[in-house]
Amino acid sequence: MNGGQRFRPNDTPCHRTRREFLWEVGGGFAGLGLIDLLSRDGFFTNRGVAANALKTPSTLKPPQFPGKAKHCIFLFMNGAPSQVDTFDPKPTLTKFDGTPYKGKAKFGSGGRAIGYLAQSTFRFHQHGESGLPISEIFPHTARYADELCVIRSMYADTAAHASGCLQMNTGDVQIGSPSLGSWMSYGLGTESRNLPGFVVMTDPRGGPISSASNWSSGYMPAAYQGTLFRNGGTPLLDLATPQGVGDRTQRHSLDLLERLNREHLARHPGESELVARIISYELAYRMQSSATEAVDLESEDARTREMYGLNNKLTSDFGNKCLTARRLIERGVRFVQLYSGGGHLEDTWDGHTDCISNHKLHAGETDQPISALITDLKQRGLWDETLIVWGGEFGRTPTSEGVGKPGRDHNWLGFSMWLAGAGIRGGQVIGATDELGFAAVEDRVHVSDLHATILHLMGLDHRHLTYFYNGLDRRLTGPDEERYHVVQQALA
Amino acid sequence: MLSPKHIERFPGSRVLHIAIPALVLLGGRLIADESEDQLAAYDASIVQSDREHWAYMPVRRPQVPAVDDPEWIRTPIDNFILVKLEQQGWRPAPAAQPYDLLRRLYLDLIGLPPTIAQQGRFLANPTAEQFDEQVDQLLRQKGYGERWARHWLDLARYAESNGYERDAEKRHVWRYRDYVIDALNEDKPYDRFILEQLAGDELTDRSTETVLATSFYRLGSWDDEPADFAQYRHDQIDDIIRTTSQVFLGLSMGCARCHDHKFDALTMLDYYRMSAIMAPMKRPARDADIPAGSIEQLEQIAERDRVIEGLRNQQQKLRASFRDEFLTSGLSTLEQKVLSAFMIPVAERNSQQKQLVTTHQAELDQQLEAAFPPHTKHRFDDFQRRITQLQEQTPDLPKGYFLLEERNKPPRSYLLLRGRAASPGPEVQPGLPTVLVREQPSFHEHERSTGRRLVFAKWIAHAKNPLTARVIVNRVWQYHFGEGIVRTPSDFGVMGDSPTHPELLDWLAYWFVNDANWSLKKLHRLIACSNTYRMSKASNSEYAQADPANRLLWRFPYQRLQVEAIRDSILASSGRLNRKMYGPGVKLDIPEVVIESHADRNIWEASGREEQSRRTVYAFVKRSIVVPMLEVLDFCDTTRSAEKRNITSVSPQALTLFNGDFVTQQAKYLAERVIREVGDDPTAQVAHAWQLALCRLPNDEEHRAMADFLETETQRSISELNEGEVLTADRAHRRALVQVCRVIYNLNEFSYPN
Repeated sequence: MNGGQRFRPNDTPCHRTRREFLWEVGGGFAGLGLIDLLSRDGFFTNRGVAANALKTPSTLKPPQFPGKAKHCIFLFMNGAPSQVDTFDPKPTLTKFDGTPYKGKAKFGSGGRAIGYLAQSTFRFHQHGESGLPISEIFPHTARYADELCVIRSMYADTAAHASGCLQMNTGDVQIGSPSLGSWMSYGLGTESRNLPGFVVMTDPRGGPISSASNWSSGYMPAAYQGTLFRNGGTPLLDLATPQGVGDRTQRHSLDLLERLNREHLARHPGESELVARIISYELAYRMQSSATEAVDLESEDARTREMYGLNNKLTSDFGNKCLTARRLIERGVRFVQLYSGGGHLEDTWDGHTDCISNHKLHAGETDQPISALITDLKQRGLWDETLIVWGGEFGRTPTSEGVGKPGRDHNWLGFSMWLAGAGIRGGQVIGATDELGFAAVEDRVHVSDLHATILHLMGLDHRHLTYFYNGLDRRLTGPDEERYHVVQQALA
Repeated sequence: MLSPKHIERFPGSRVLHIAIPALVLLGGRLIADESEDQLAAYDASIVQSDREHWAYMPVRRPQVPAVDDPEWIRTPIDNFILVKLEQQGWRPAPAAQPYDLLRRLYLDLIGLPPTIAQQGRFLANPTAEQFDEQVDQLLRQKGYGERWARHWLDLARYAESNGYERDAEKRHVWRYRDYVIDALNEDKPYDRFILEQLAGDELTDRSTETVLATSFYRLGSWDDEPADFAQYRHDQIDDIIRTTSQVFLGLSMGCARCHDHKFDALTMLDYYRMSAIMAPMKRPARDADIPAGSIEQLEQIAERDRVIEGLRNQQQKLRASFRDEFLTSGLSTLEQKVLSAFMIPVAERNSQQKQLVTTHQAELDQQLEAAFPPHTKHRFDDFQRRITQLQEQTPDLPKGYFLLEERNKPPRSYLLLRGRAASPGPEVQPGLPTVLVREQPSFHEHERSTGRRLVFAKWIAHAKNPLTARVIVNRVWQYHFGEGIVRTPSDFGVMGDSPTHPELLDWLAYWFVNDANWSLKKLHRLIACSNTYRMSKASNSEYAQADPANRLLWRFPYQRLQVEAIRDSILASSGRLNRKMYGPGVKLDIPEVVIESHADRNIWEASGREEQSRRTVYAFVKRSIVVPMLEVLDFCDTTRSAEKRNITSVSPQALTLFNGDFVTQQAKYLAERVIREVGDDPTAQVAHAWQLALCRLPNDEEHRAMADFLETETQRSISELNEGEVLTADRAHRRALVQVCRVIYNLNEFSYPN
């Protein structure tokens, strides 16, 4: 596709977008991947819909331009990690530790400048050839310092967890917009026929606030939503055909179900949830043979299991998730999102009371598995096609509420995230917060800039990746297509 | 949508107007000076424009709008819906088919499908008047309370264990669930329902029932060994404040714990005023369950126990008087070393002897009592009779799982800086959110409690509270239609959604309080008898394009059933539903592989088959291991108040419903039932199964599809060896029929009623 031309995922030979076409014939279906899935399975031809409008060889759609990454793993540190304790060392903080903040910047929740500057109690060391400074709570990840592109100048629009998570996942602070993974499925289709294209795994302590709204397809067809895998060692249940039911009977029964559901759909055209449900049965059938193997961590050798920390109570849960993530992208899943932290207050990275022990715990749970994931991807030749994103919904203040009090508050004005893998120039720092770590001041990167960058790496132009809904061409990055930009400096 | 106004507002939020007092380090503790001024500043930050937010304004009765097509009007609701459609030049969707409408109504009101007999009665004469009659009948059924209680339990963050590492059972907490079911079935007025849950222990007509209602406060998760006890105490109060303010008022008060609310006119002071209301409640020691009753009943029990204790002492004296004689009498069958141990004075017994005495005390007493001389025996039995009599006269009270407030002297409450228990600021008195009251009420101590919650509850349940009625009528609307008039049902603040039909919301709220006297059943009736409710789900491409979210309600919205209604419908149609009500939670099957992956393998022992066939509202919800079938099918998050179920449609659900044990088993039951009820004719079998599950007969195409399947599948399994055996035609057909039943339970129409 030409770079300058507006991306039309639905272009058809008859100069109408397929979406418009389907709107007319199907009463409102939209979205190519879905249509492809249906047409590939003979859905529309069965119903006598004009075949030439639906000729698509596979569900896989060409990117708008060659993207560096085929897969993305988003390591979501739910609750908001503190930048000055992780990737943004602030020597000046040490100097003023324990003194009241006297600057003019308004920061923290509610904009109240209350509290005392508090240095990080963690030491930072320079790592790799690049000398990237990383907090001592990430000893394993630090070995890959030269692969990490740390953005220290992130900022968001909200300091509340619920809206922060939604913004990081959907670009919008309110419920109802499609998530990043949905946009990828919409723009690129699904590579794997046998597994969902977008998989989410949450923390056993609980999901993020607003749970499924964070991986919802919003106003897009329901088939683009993320598929949540279960916690606790058995991500998928009931993969086996019931006892006493033969394989052929299973297939025939499913065919009957599909025939009846299509008949029903014909009477209720345009219901995207009904379509998604039809697709989910077909995918479930294929998953019966493919997913059992995909999530079977027992088949991994002892060394790999050890490397991911599966034998250690502290790391086993996130290790499980990271290893499952690798196995999934290996099998064509496009976007996998893993949550660290969930449920109540300190069970997430939300270190209001004691940021020190909170971050030690959560870093301790995730550091080794993340480093193992990088090692593993490199060993398997997947590193160059997989983008890794690390970060939470925002950051934390460089202050505490009293002298020697180790809790830190929310901070959406400046925080750190890192990117690594496909298309990323590692071993570098982008942007900066002010001297004390309150607010992003240099090369500021808005959450939507990050989204634009991720889409770019996947081969999608955020300005031209649109979805028509309620009278508007919608974008992940909002209505103004020139407002947010790809972070060029991050690119290799 | 978030308007620019909001975004610009919060970086410099209201607190910027407040002078932050210097914190003074005094005696090692931070205290705030000028606390009076500081507190006044919080209230002063609330300005008139804050009070003018639509949801904080008084509810008035709007005029019912005139419409162009009065024919369509059945209740005033229809006027409000139709007038907006007419403004667009639109027409409401045509009425749904009678059979679809009937199934919709049953699933909506009682969560179960109509039986074939019930279908027959209505479909013989499917008039609007008949339908209204159906509405009334269903609202009189116990199933109504079972269905609608679950909506309330979602809001109340109900679960039967504490969560966290030990995840201990909340003993007798199910009495709260049963209370909700009964309250709904009795049509307890909603204002009374509020009073009981929030201050049932402080009411003058306090009873077992009203005290059990206050379990509401203790339903949340609870960590029995938190890192910081003082802080955790406030986390617990926070859980109560968040839940209470969201559920009853649609306010996100929890956001004001560490800082003033970022968007709404709720200050930290408002938060800590509410905290002072809740703070006097205490958790019973050892997380115990406790007897629930009126003060009089509790006093009677205390008096009873005092008398019984006296009688027991008398009995003990009789034993003591006879003891030495008995020990040496040779009548005891106890070993000599045991008898010797008893004979040694208490102070002189060694540890082994102490152990022997403890172990054999009951045995000795029994033998001794049997050997009493007649006059002693007579006296002893007389005491025993009186004890039994007292216990019968004044039986024990049912136990429940609620918090206690037993003293009328409240603990001091402080505004906690940054929400930290270790950083108390100025002292705070109980009070209500400033933006909602012109002046603070006065709080009076009761004899046994602080009386604070009663003042709070009465304010919420007051007819003039602008939020309470709006919030509840909106919730009821949402459970009927899938979306509320305000689509953020627990957030009526400035960040919440604006009402799609503001006049309708106010009309309903006013009507509910003033005309319906807070009767939820009257509200259901008004809604279900409207033409709006009777619309079909037929789409319209023009309307869908202009209003894809159906905000104007141009048709009845598509919505999937909650997992409870799916599971209960399956049980009802297979004929296996056990209608037993109430009592301890039922443990549904959890696959072995899931239990194995849990640290504690004894964590779950499933109930028996019959018990498991009860309605899903009785399913035991354990926070650390939610039954997978419920979890996969979008059961609510148990850690916080859930205003709405997420609806997802992904492959793990298909696996659960198509391959899982539950549906597989129920499909067999349905097939057996069908054969039992209509015999061997395949056409009749299919039609019957379809009617039981979907409340309609299959159309020709559907019939053909199933007949084809039955035929080919039967033929195939006769011609093929099945696990080494040749099937008879009859068995092959039965097997195929089971498959048809499994397919029926998986149909889109089964989970998405028309």
